[in-house]
Amino acid sequence: MSLSVVLFLVFAVLAIGAAIRVVFCHRIFHGAMWLIVSFFGVAAIYMLLESPFLAGIQLFIYIGGVAVLTVIAIMVTKRVMAPNQRTLNDPVSAGIVALALFGVMVWMILSLPLPMAPTAPVIEGGLELLGAALVDPQGFLLPFEVVSVMMLVVLVASLYLGRER
Amino acid sequence: MDLLATVPLSWYLILGAALFCIGVYGVLANRNLIVIMMAIELMLNAVVLNLAAFARFMEPARIQGKAFAIVTYATAAAEAALGLALIISIWRTENTVAVEEIDLLKG
Repeated sequence: MSLSVVLFLVFAVLAIGAAIRVVFCHRIFHGAMWLIVSFFGVAAIYMLLESPFLAGIQLFIYIGGVAVLTVIAIMVTKRVMAPNQRTLNDPVSAGIVALALFGVMVWMILSLPLPMAPTAPVIEGGLELLGAALVDPQGFLLPFEVVSVMMLVVLVASLYLGRER
Repeated sequence: MDLLATVPLSWYLILGAALFCIGVYGVLANRNLIVIMMAIELMLNAVVLNLAAFARFMEPARIQGKAFAIVTYATAAAEAALGLALIISIWRTENTVAVEEIDLLKG
């Protein structure tokens, strides 16, 4: 086993194990902490994919933004659900659905002719090309601007919903 | 030494599928709205992982997959902010975050 396989397995097990701890958590604050661990595992997988920019965004947006927001929401709504209260609702059928979905996905992935190795080595200056493509009218300018407007709408809507009344 | 050459694309996709299905289970089984939000974040994270893996393996310039990944990140952050604002708003009016107790729209 080469170094990359070992690193992949370590971080994949970290991400999946932490994700399982998130959905089975009895104390929701511990779930938020495991969510951060899972995000960190996925960020390490991005480094294995030689995408340090995506790994950085993962750390900034998910761990720095989403996880912190979740912790704040937990603190605001604390003691609404007691730790010993029932946390799961019909776990058996939910597990059957999730496992069946996973089985179908793995069957589809394994039946596709997917490449074993990347088709080309990493090119230099990919980040500059990405930034140019995001503001190129022939590229991704429209989704970029739509997302900008959506962020503004969400900002206003969150302030409206979260205000004291 | 090429660090990537030995991990095939299908492993990344299976990791993404596993994370997505854990998220599906969390959404279906949990009673707490905040845990459901965390499970949705796990599912979005799995989607971005798939996009990044395809971008690395299938296209040399790695522009399109990453552009989609960035748009998905922005959407995920917006979804988290709006969802948690909704949860706090519901908590203020109903004083609960358990999904079966929130039946404002029931006729």
